[in-house]
Amino acid sequence: MAFTLFAKQLAKAAPAAAGGRGEVAEPKPVAMKGGRLNLVVYYFFSSLWVFVLVAMAMITFETDQADFFKSVQEEQKVFFKTVQSSFAKRQDDAARQDLLAIHEAGNVNLTRLFANTLWETDFAPFVARAQAIPVEHCRVLADVRNEKTGKTEPSPGKKHCFAEVGKRIMALPGFAALDLKVHDTMKRSSVFKIKVFDLRGITVYSSERAQIGEDKANNAGWKSAIGGQPASELTHRDKFSAFEGVVENRDLIGSYLPVRAPGSDKIVGVFEVYSDVTQFLGRIQQTSVALKKAALENERTIEAKSAENLDKVGSSSIKSLLVVGGLLGLLYAALFFIMRQAQRTIEYQVQQRERVQQQLGQAEKMASLGQMVAGVAHQLNTPLAYSYNNIQMVMQSLDQYALPLKVAGTFSRLVKSVEADKVTFNVAKAKAQVSGIDERDLDVAMPREMLGDTLQGIEQMRELVENLRDFTRLDRTKVARFDLNKGLHSVVYIAKSVIPTRVRVVEDYAQLPEIECNPSQLNQVFLNLINNAAQAIPGEGTVTIKSALEGDMVRVDVVDTGSGIPTDVLPHIWDNYYTTKPAGEGTGIGLPIARTIVTEHGGDISVVSNPGMGTTFTVHLPIKTAQ
Amino acid sequence: MANIKGRVLCVDDEPNILRSLQWLLQKEFEIMTAPSGHEGLALVRKHDFDVVISDQRMPGMTGSEFLREVRKISPRTMRILLTGYSDLQAVLRSVNESEVFRFINKPWKLNELPLVVAEAAHIARTQPVPAAVDEAPPAETRMETILVVDDEPDMVDILRQEIGASASIVHARNLAEAVATFESDQAVGIILADTRVDGLDSTRMLKMLKQHYPGIVTVVCTLESDVDNVVDLINQGQIFRIIPKPVKPGLLMMAVRAASLKRQQLKDHPDLATRHTVVGLSEETRQALMADIQRASLRATPAADQEQGGDEGGSFLGRLGSGLKRLFGRG
Repeated sequence: MAFTLFAKQLAKAAPAAAGGRGEVAEPKPVAMKGGRLNLVVYYFFSSLWVFVLVAMAMITFETDQADFFKSVQEEQKVFFKTVQSSFAKRQDDAARQDLLAIHEAGNVNLTRLFANTLWETDFAPFVARAQAIPVEHCRVLADVRNEKTGKTEPSPGKKHCFAEVGKRIMALPGFAALDLKVHDTMKRSSVFKIKVFDLRGITVYSSERAQIGEDKANNAGWKSAIGGQPASELTHRDKFSAFEGVVENRDLIGSYLPVRAPGSDKIVGVFEVYSDVTQFLGRIQQTSVALKKAALENERTIEAKSAENLDKVGSSSIKSLLVVGGLLGLLYAALFFIMRQAQRTIEYQVQQRERVQQQLGQAEKMASLGQMVAGVAHQLNTPLAYSYNNIQMVMQSLDQYALPLKVAGTFSRLVKSVEADKVTFNVAKAKAQVSGIDERDLDVAMPREMLGDTLQGIEQMRELVENLRDFTRLDRTKVARFDLNKGLHSVVYIAKSVIPTRVRVVEDYAQLPEIECNPSQLNQVFLNLINNAAQAIPGEGTVTIKSALEGDMVRVDVVDTGSGIPTDVLPHIWDNYYTTKPAGEGTGIGLPIARTIVTEHGGDISVVSNPGMGTTFTVHLPIKTAQ
Repeated sequence: MANIKGRVLCVDDEPNILRSLQWLLQKEFEIMTAPSGHEGLALVRKHDFDVVISDQRMPGMTGSEFLREVRKISPRTMRILLTGYSDLQAVLRSVNESEVFRFINKPWKLNELPLVVAEAAHIARTQPVPAAVDEAPPAETRMETILVVDDEPDMVDILRQEIGASASIVHARNLAEAVATFESDQAVGIILADTRVDGLDSTRMLKMLKQHYPGIVTVVCTLESDVDNVVDLINQGQIFRIIPKPVKPGLLMMAVRAASLKRQQLKDHPDLATRHTVVGLSEETRQALMADIQRASLRATPAADQEQGGDEGGSFLGRLGSGLKRLFGRG
């Protein structure tokens, strides 16, 4: 910021130094590399990567979208799968629960029936007897941990003890009959096994005899049943000894059921009943399988559908990418054409501007020529006036000579023709003839002087024409070796006829070599400077034109004793169209054109001014141009 | 021996011009020459000249400056300015400051110049000398009728503001109205006019008016700046002052006051008017002027009457008719 200010101030304060070499140049815009504006090329390169960037961003975006969609699909598939399997499981579980519940209920009923029919008569006394058999001595025996299963089991000793108890139970009277009755009752039913426990938890009867005497007091099912709550369990047994013998690979529901004395709620024992539900379970499993199949089918459908969707999305995303890509391409192309048009417009405007500049330059030239013509016309008037006057007067005089010459002619003829010494003639007659002659009209000297003046006048006019020709140089080559002092002199001559008479013009030329230049252009420059100088002087004053040799340059100073250039005007004098004259009087391009001409010659022009004292314009020109 | 008609001083920086003038005029006049304004003034102080002819463009003192000084030193001397390709400012100055009698263009016509000089010399010799009229405000202003010929109101407004009380101001918006003012010997003393009024050229009318009423003092205010027109206005109309438009009130009032002083002078000494004889208008010009006035009258409205201060005598056309008769009837 500070630097720019400083630079600006530099530029302002040193127009004299900068002068023709120009002020701080404005940086050229990038599009103007190489001098002329090439909008199209600039656009082509600068916009291309922007478009590519945008396209890539779009592609990335699209791809992300597709991926997102895909992942959502996946999630949904997984979710669906989960939902399906959870439903299937629930269904399965529910079915199993239902199976369990129903069978348990059935078993409960069975137990009641059993109790109602068999308990009082057959079981009650038997159980009473069995209950009398002590078991404590077995219970106190320790359990051992099964290394294989990790479960706590009775030790073989304990088992043997209980087996002994069993034997004793079986030895009781009535056991065989009971056993028979039970078998008969349970024949061909869905009940596979029955166990009866006493209030202590001891197995007092089992359709599998080996189990009689086992202690089930710790069994959760027995505990629940003895508390009055039936407990059922669905199990699978690879081998199972049932009423009919050993069965293999069956699904059973085992229920621990409280036995109530008929007619009351008092619990008198626990039954364990196993019923075969293999068939039912099989059905459940079949249903499960079918469901699974259906689920799988659904998943496949969904899979297929999602794949289809993915394809659709993919293809539509590709389509949209293509469309967007196409649009981007179209946009690029449209902008390209617009740029081209803009380029053409700019070029046209530049051309127009150049033409206008040329026209203005032409106008300025015309104006200076016009000024000069006016001055010349004025100058011409004076010699014209007296020459015109004199010629007419001489002609009048000549008219006056007619009579005297006639008389002289007559007289000389007379004298020539007479041989005698004397002659006589009639004075009275002659008097009449010569009465018209006035001595004053016989003055030859005056007409001669008049013509002499006329000749001078014509000489003046000739000199004027020559100066004019020298000034305009219309008939000479544009570039020539030129005597600058002579040129300055002819400019001064012309200028004198334009500038006010109260302004003195002083010429102070040094010896100068000829310089290579365009003389008519330089004449225009110096006429402009001299005119400006004279116009700057309000009253009386002097304009001095000095020429000097400085190394390989010639230097011309135009000095005036005028009012000077104010400091706020000074930086602007080189600006196009800037003038301090009232509207219509100055074009404001005299100095800019002068500067252009001087710099084109390889020289420079500068100004120093003292407001109130005067101004000096200095022009340097090289002796040899670089052209 | 032709009698000497007067003593004439020629001033020009070009010696050949002086010689030619001398040769041309020496038969009828006593000629003295000077190569510059300063030397000319020295001669004027020493001798008593009837006529002074000066060139405009001279180094040192210009012609108009010289003539201004001559007017101060020797008001009796008639002043003639030779103009070449002169600038308008100088010419206007010579009109306003030195009351030039005639402008002669270079190159002059051989048979005209001596006649003009003779006329000037005659006036100088036979007419009374005017006291130098200076620009200071007079002790008393007598009621004057000022005719303003202009289609714009600026001048009238300024006048009314400044001296509306002490002068009778008549506003004519076109030529016809102006002419109608002269239907009676209204003693219009001062005319303030633009050179173009309502689209028509008024200078012909002004010249005509001066011809018929030499006692009228005319001040012209104009936008245009044509030297030829100015020269004509002097030679044919002896315009008293020429002021540029837009009008500066100060300048205008100065001119009007000077004009009223001059008018006073002419009223007191009517013979003085002969010092301002004009070249008569050609028949062609008179015809053209008549046509213009008729054109103007067609545009004019009877509303112009009100300016006259309630004078109901006759219709406008009637007054125009009498005015025309007066102007052209004498021709």
